[in-house]
Amino acid sequence: MRNFRRILLRRFISLFVTFLLVICINFILFRMMPGDPMRFMVPSDPAIPDEYKDKLIERYGLDDPLTEQFITYIKGVFTLDFGESFQYKMPAMDFIFEYIPWTLLLVGVASFFMIVIGMLIGIIAAWKRGSLFDSGSLAFSLFFYAMPTFWLAMIMVMLFAVTWEIFPPSRALEIGEEFEFTLASVKDLLSHLVMPVTCLVLVYIATFSLMMRGALSDVMTEDYITTARAKGLPEGSVLKDHAVPNAMLPMLILIALTIAYIVGGAFMVEYVFEYPGVGWATIDAVFEEDWPVLQAAFFLIAVAVLIANFVSDVVMLYLDPRVELS
Amino acid sequence: MIETDLTVSEPFAERMRLFRKRIAETGRVFRRNRMGMLGLAILLVFVAMAAFPAQIMWVFSEIGGWDYPYGPHDDVASRGSGTAPSWDNWLGTDQRGNDILARLIYGARISLVIGLLASAVAMVVGSIVGLLSGFWGGWMDEALMRVTDVFLVLPWLVLMIVFEAVLPGGPSVTKIIIVVGITGWAGTARIVRTQVLSVKERAFIERAKSIGAGEFHIIRKHIFPNVFPLIFANAILVVALAILSESALSFLGLGASARVDVTWGNMLEDALNNNAMYNGFYLWVLMPGLCIVFLVMGFTFIGYALDEIFNPKLRKR
Repeated sequence: MRNFRRILLRRFISLFVTFLLVICINFILFRMMPGDPMRFMVPSDPAIPDEYKDKLIERYGLDDPLTEQFITYIKGVFTLDFGESFQYKMPAMDFIFEYIPWTLLLVGVASFFMIVIGMLIGIIAAWKRGSLFDSGSLAFSLFFYAMPTFWLAMIMVMLFAVTWEIFPPSRALEIGEEFEFTLASVKDLLSHLVMPVTCLVLVYIATFSLMMRGALSDVMTEDYITTARAKGLPEGSVLKDHAVPNAMLPMLILIALTIAYIVGGAFMVEYVFEYPGVGWATIDAVFEEDWPVLQAAFFLIAVAVLIANFVSDVVMLYLDPRVELS
Repeated sequence: MIETDLTVSEPFAERMRLFRKRIAETGRVFRRNRMGMLGLAILLVFVAMAAFPAQIMWVFSEIGGWDYPYGPHDDVASRGSGTAPSWDNWLGTDQRGNDILARLIYGARISLVIGLLASAVAMVVGSIVGLLSGFWGGWMDEALMRVTDVFLVLPWLVLMIVFEAVLPGGPSVTKIIIVVGITGWAGTARIVRTQVLSVKERAFIERAKSIGAGEFHIIRKHIFPNVFPLIFANAILVVALAILSESALSFLGLGASARVDVTWGNMLEDALNNNAMYNGFYLWVLMPGLCIVFLVMGFTFIGYALDEIFNPKLRKR
C-alpha cells in the first residue's frame, strides 16, 4: 500500500507539471506571439470607447513587463478569469460554461455507444479470427476511420435531413425551444441528438474495435487461456470469464487516451450540425476573433482531458497491481 | 607495404551497393503485401492527378467536347451560382461558376503537398526530440517528455485551431503546413525515443564508444540508421493524419484560401457555405470527401505494410 501511495504521488506530480506547462503554453500563445499581443485581450473594434480599452489594459497589466504580466495571468488562471468576451461582454469562462452540458451530453452518449459497440465488434472479431466477420469489420472500420468527421456529418445531413427528412438537420432543439422535462421536449432533444451521435460513433468505432481485437488477441495466446480450455470450459465461458476481463485493462488506458480525439471530432460535428456545444462556441469565437473565449475554452478542454487521463491512471493502478512494479 | 584485401577500394560505391540491395529487398517483401500494393495503387492515381492536372482535364475536354479544358479558377459567371451536373460540367459547378471536376483534380496537388510537407516537419521535430531525450536521458529526457505529453494529450484539432488563430498572418498554405507540423510530432517523438533507448543498449554501440567514437558520430552512424526505417513507416501514417487535419482546418476556413489554392477541404467549405447539402448538389459534397477518404486509406495501407516489414515482431501476427 505504501508503494501504491508513492506511485500515486508521482503521478500527481507529473499531472501538476503537465498542468503548469499547459498554463505556460496558453500564456506564450496568447501574450508572446509576434505582432500586437494586445489584440488578444483588448478588442480592436474602433466603436468601443477608449476608456473601456484602457480599463482592460490596466486590469490585465498589458503595459507591464512580461514577468509581471505572467504573474497577473497566473492569478487570473486560478480565479478562472480569462478576460471578458469581446462579443457578449461577460466573463469568457462563464460564457463557455453555458455550453458544457450540451457537449457532455453529446460526447457522453456517443462515447457510451462507441465503446460498447466497438468492443463487441472487437471481441467477436478476435474470437472468430480470420472469418468473414473479422475481415468485414476491419474493412468497415478502416473506411470510417479514414473519413473526415465533418464530411460524414454533411453526408448525413444531405441524406437523412434533406432527402428523406427523417431527422432535423441542425441545432439541439427546435428554434426558440428551451429544454424542459416533458415528453415533447425530450422527444425533440433526442431527434436532434441522433445524427450527431451516430456520426461520432461511426467515425470512432474503429479505434475501439481495433484496440479490443488487438488486446484480446494478445490475451488469447496466454497460458491461462490454454489452461481454461484444457480443463474443459466451454468456449463462451473462456471468453467471458478469462479472456475479456484481462483484455479490459489495456483497453482502459486506451479509452482515456482516445478522449482527446473524440473531443476533436465532437468539435467538427458540433460545427456542421450547429449544435450549441463548446466546440461550436470555440470555432465561433475564432471567426469572431473573440480571443478571451478561445483562451478559456482551450484551458478548460486541456484541464478536462488531463484530469480524465489522471483518473484513468489511478483506476488502472487500483485494478492492476502489476502496474505498481514497473 | 602489405596490401590487405580487407580495405574496400571504393567505400562510397560499396555503401551504395549495400543500400540498393536493402531497398531491393524491402521492395520484394512489400510487393508480397497485398494491402501495401493496394495502397500504392491508390496513391499513384492521386500522384498522377497532382502531377498532370492540366493534361487530365485536356483528355476530359476532348471526351466531353467542351470548348476548352477547364481550370480551377475559371470563374465563369454565365454558368450561374452552383449548377447541377450536366454534359458540360460532369460534376456541376460551384458558386463562382467553376467546374467542380477541374477543382477536384487540381485540388489533389495542394492536398498532397500539404500532407507530405506537414508530415516532414512533424518527422524532423519528432525525430530530434526523440533522439535527444532517448540518447541523453536525464533531465533533458524528463523535460522533453513532459512537453511531448502535453502535445499528445491535448485534442489535436483544438490545438491546431488555437495555433492557426494565434500565429500572425492570414490563412495560407505555408501557415497550415507549419501548424499541422508543429502539432503532430509528439507520437513520433515517443516512438523514436523508445527505439533509441533499445538501440543504445546494444553491443555495437558499446564497441563504438570503446574505440573512442564521439557522441555525434554514434548518433549519426549507428543510432540514426537503426531508427530511420521506423521513422519512415511512421511518417507515412502521419501523412494520412496530416491530410485529414488539413481538410478539417480548410473546411473551417482556417486553411488555404479557396480563391488561390484549391484543396478538397476548402471545396467542402464552399459546399457548406453555399448550402450544397440543401440544394441537392450531391456530387459537390460527395466527391471531395471521397478523394480524402481514398487518399488517407492509401497512405494508411502503405504505412501498415511498411510497419509490418520494418517491425518484424508484428510479422508473425
